[in-house]
Amino acid sequence: MAALTPYTYIQCPCADPSTLGHPSGPNAPTDTDADEDDRTFDPRAPRSNYSLYPLEYLLYCEDCHQIRCPRCIAEEIVTYYCPNCLFEVPSSNLRSEGNRCTRNCFQCPICIGPLAITSLETKPNPGLLAASDNTAAPHHGPYALTCSYCHWSSTEVGIKLDKPNNVHAQLARLQNGGATRLTGKERKERRADPSKAQDADGRRRGASRDGQDLDLETQFTNLKTFYQSQLADPESSDSGLAPLGDLGYSSPTSLSRIMHLYTGGGRQDKKAKSRVGAMREALGSGEGLQLAHLDESAAIAALQAAGHDGTASTTQLLEQPPHLGAAHPHGSARLAASLRPIPYLLRTKRSKRCPLCRHIISKPEAKIQTTRFRIRLVAGTYIPSLAIRALSLSSGNPPGPAAAAAAGGLLDPLKPAHFLLTFKNPLFDPIKVTLGAPAATPGRFASRVTVLCPAFEVDANTDVWDEALKDGGGGERDKERGGRERRRRKGEDGGGSGGGGGGGGGQNQLEVGKIWERGRNWVSIVVEVVPASLQAPVGGGQPGLLQEDEDVLEIPMFVRVEWEAEAGGDEVGAVVSRDREAKEKRELAYWCVLGLGRIRQS
Amino acid sequence: MSTPAGSALPHRSVANIRSPSGTGRHHHHSGSSTPNRSVASNLGSPSSLRADEEIIIIEFGTRRLQVGYPNDPAPRGCVWFAPEQQRRVGDFRQWQSGYRHEWRSAAAGGRWGRDHELWQYDVREVDLGLVGDKIERALREAFTKYMLIDSRPRRMVWVIPSSLPIPLLSAALDSVFSRFQPPTVSLLSSPLAVAVGAGVRTALVVDLGWRETAVTSIYEYREVDSSRSIRGGRMLVEQTHNSLAKHLPGSQRGSNSDNPDATHEYAISFEECSDIATRMVWCKPRQRPATATAPQLSDDGLATVLEQDEAEARDLPPTEAAGTVTIPLKSCSPPNSLELPFDALTEPCENAFFDTQYSPSSFDDHELPLHLLVYRSLLHLPLDVRALCMSRIIFTGGCANVLGLRGRIFDEVSHLVQEQGWDPVRGKGVGQLRANPKLKRRGARQAAEGPTGVAAQPDGGEEQDGVWHDSADTTPEVDLIEEQLKRGADKGARVHGELRAVESLGAWSGASLITHLKTPAIATIDREIWLQHGAAGASKAADVDHKNDKPQRQSLGSGGLMRGAAAASAWTLGVWGAN
Ligand SMILES: [Zn+2]
Ligand SMILES: [Zn+2]
Ligand SMILES: [Zn+2]
Ligand SMILES: [Zn+2]
Repeated sequence: MAALTPYTYIQCPCADPSTLGHPSGPNAPTDTDADEDDRTFDPRAPRSNYSLYPLEYLLYCEDCHQIRCPRCIAEEIVTYYCPNCLFEVPSSNLRSEGNRCTRNCFQCPICIGPLAITSLETKPNPGLLAASDNTAAPHHGPYALTCSYCHWSSTEVGIKLDKPNNVHAQLARLQNGGATRLTGKERKERRADPSKAQDADGRRRGASRDGQDLDLETQFTNLKTFYQSQLADPESSDSGLAPLGDLGYSSPTSLSRIMHLYTGGGRQDKKAKSRVGAMREALGSGEGLQLAHLDESAAIAALQAAGHDGTASTTQLLEQPPHLGAAHPHGSARLAASLRPIPYLLRTKRSKRCPLCRHIISKPEAKIQTTRFRIRLVAGTYIPSLAIRALSLSSGNPPGPAAAAAAGGLLDPLKPAHFLLTFKNPLFDPIKVTLGAPAATPGRFASRVTVLCPAFEVDANTDVWDEALKDGGGGERDKERGGRERRRRKGEDGGGSGGGGGGGGGQNQLEVGKIWERGRNWVSIVVEVVPASLQAPVGGGQPGLLQEDEDVLEIPMFVRVEWEAEAGGDEVGAVVSRDREAKEKRELAYWCVLGLGRIRQS
Repeated sequence: MSTPAGSALPHRSVANIRSPSGTGRHHHHSGSSTPNRSVASNLGSPSSLRADEEIIIIEFGTRRLQVGYPNDPAPRGCVWFAPEQQRRVGDFRQWQSGYRHEWRSAAAGGRWGRDHELWQYDVREVDLGLVGDKIERALREAFTKYMLIDSRPRRMVWVIPSSLPIPLLSAALDSVFSRFQPPTVSLLSSPLAVAVGAGVRTALVVDLGWRETAVTSIYEYREVDSSRSIRGGRMLVEQTHNSLAKHLPGSQRGSNSDNPDATHEYAISFEECSDIATRMVWCKPRQRPATATAPQLSDDGLATVLEQDEAEARDLPPTEAAGTVTIPLKSCSPPNSLELPFDALTEPCENAFFDTQYSPSSFDDHELPLHLLVYRSLLHLPLDVRALCMSRIIFTGGCANVLGLRGRIFDEVSHLVQEQGWDPVRGKGVGQLRANPKLKRRGARQAAEGPTGVAAQPDGGEEQDGVWHDSADTTPEVDLIEEQLKRGADKGARVHGELRAVESLGAWSGASLITHLKTPAIATIDREIWLQHGAAGASKAADVDHKNDKPQRQSLGSGGLMRGAAAASAWTLGVWGAN
């Protein structure tokens, strides 16, 4: 099992359903103070995966003083564009083509690489062609869409194009194999022309039995037209429905009166009864009725001929947009010969607002070619970042990443190990950090955890030069300042001091209640863990097969950050504290998960 | 928040909701209104609509969600539930080279394939909060990737199986109401939407689904009967696994090959078996018994090729059947490539859906082979309903894509009908039944009712009808049906009495039609009320139905049964609240 780089995930406070839709300003968390220690967050619970984010994915609302994750943010669309040609698409003609690019942008149905339009003509002279590639094209049709990665060509599914442009429209009227079809628009035009009206056949009784095969789009349109005509007033010009007119329904103006969808209970009122039957069923293909073709022997023979290689994988099938230009494919969709070039799905650029105060939190540049943002309030500039590294105490060498690597990256069961957590304060005010972690990790394998220093202060993110002038690097003084830490709440049974016997080099002491190291706007503290044995699940019994990542030692940790900031006028939820003028007390509390490493499976 | 009593009415009516003009159901005063509306709907580039007028249709399945707009023939996007979706944001391990899904540990403890499902119907085993999370994430993906919509609240129409347990529905509503804030969610049952998507009012909907096969009889847009069997997609994939594992060298086989009931140890991953089931598994045509004497009514459609195959399959050991296929397997260790006779790929289908080696009486109701399930479903129906339903069989669901399966079920059912007629008590002589005076009466009446479209049908299904004994007791609908037949409502050429399959655009597309035509859903739930009361706030559908004379069950305000503040806004969960 490969080693793993230590990581941190933060749980957005919106995961707690009780906070959903409620502002969680500075006063909110204090209400639940008592509960916080009781409910331990289990990072391994399946639900946790839905609320945990790396810090970089989180935004922050300056007005509500709250973390915002993708689940608790309101989005607005700035622009729609094609990721392939990077053309912006006006929202008015978005949906008619299924939110896909209608230019010449297609993905390979086999490998989803971009398809190129190539002439099927034998190229006159490769050298000459390369030179004049973009000028007046010397080659003629037919053309094909080809993939330069996997060498798929649309000729494999029998599709050749007449022109190298307007590919989207050409494809719409081409079936696999090359047969053409009428597009929805053309059909509509035909229908409008009474001389070609097909609807009449459907209306005639008996004509239904041998209706033509419809593609899905046509079947849908025919059904819709049929239902609409059935729902129209029977007194209307549509005399085809005359036989239904004498049923005593004066005006079945809405399906709600006749299409009695209610299905519970067994009782029927008389009125409803009388209305049932006002509408008849579709009778022919003109009205959208299609008899099923149950004989699939041809498709089975094709499957046998194609073999495994001639079928599309599940993933390839998922990428296929519904092909409305053909009849229901049922099982034959699986044949690679049924695959079609995939028009690129459009994408959006979105701006994000806080759902509560409506302030903009993130706004991208409208230009498609740029990935820059005009506004982006990332959480990392408001809440302390947390870095983890292993701390090797066995040697006299200064601890560093090399030590962890030397250890092979795996944690030995039942052997105390130490990790350095470095909290870095991005704010211009000093912060007070309080940590809470359960003494044993939740889950089947309970590793023991001791946070040696669960409460400390981190200095403000002042200007580097200010800092240099004010303070000549007196680490000792800093340490004293940080010495207000309380003793660990959950007792000392974690063997915390035992592991500290070896001591660190230099000034750093592995001591309960003491921070490890302090810098301008950062503080490092030590966490001691005793990894569980993967042979001994909590509650006894056999460990059996490990779930994915069950060997990863993850610590849930509740982080509370408190600070006093300049009062920002009439901000939502601001609470002005009594003792200091123009300062207000702020607090942010959230769970995070520290992934320390994999435990050795012996 | 709290809706003042009495004022809640107007917006509770679906008809009102969907017509911004506020005129409710009276859209079509004259014949000219229809063209007008279709113009409007074609212009209906929904982008010109405001978000609060937009409706999103979502079809929920055990393995996927389908999402799109009304008046579209097909959904815009489909999101499958899969383990990758259940990872933390920012966990990109599946994209890293060298990553290999540890399917064995994921499958431990009977979880093989479960992380590809949204829910299990046995709610004791389900983390309802997780169900909500999965739905939320899948919807976000669908909205962002396929729908390209912002996060303004939009009304929703949900298409759900009528058997969906209330706790699951409730979890889904909780999650969606709190995370997406739709003003209303309307519920439609999928079999009904399937029938609408086929253009029929009456149908036998055979939903070859993932967790089960459900056969639902729809009569005049109402579900009158339904029965299910656990033989569905999941069983097919399991059987695919077993068939493939059998062909692996002994050392690679799971421990289960001989005893399928033993605690499974799987040799091949779910993902791979599911992929092979989708790509390669097919279904044999019905095997004719060697001494076939009955007329081969239902077989005229079969191509000669198939009949040859069939003959070969019958006469030769399977290994010598024409052709072999190579199936690469990557998830077994070490990876292997199986050379199988093409015919061997019918085995999963036989075992999962038919199990013809056992006698029909040896199956419990919940595990009936599919042809028996369909046949018995028809048998349960009152005579007239059956006559109509049997001519409108609709195969739908993921397993309808198993090549040959629909035809096979159809042929097996034809055969059963031919062999047993509609005799619910097996063993009685048909001749004796024919002497039944009741039968004669019905037959006579039918003849008198005008053109039936089946007069020329020689298959005897109709002649043997009439043995429905206690229909009056068990099915209150029978009155209605009789009455309706008397009234001549069906004077049209309604094909009946003949086994016939019709094609549906599917539940999603049916819902798209229903919504576009502004038809009320079975139940419409208001967000504010849901957040206040939850499922407990729903009136029992039957109660409301009983006390209300109104045909439109969605605007139940006036006669609402609920006490207190909510009195003016009684609402139901439709069929889902029945129990
Ligand atoms: Zn959030
Ligand atoms: Zn493009
Ligand atoms: Zn390719
Ligand atoms: Zn805000």
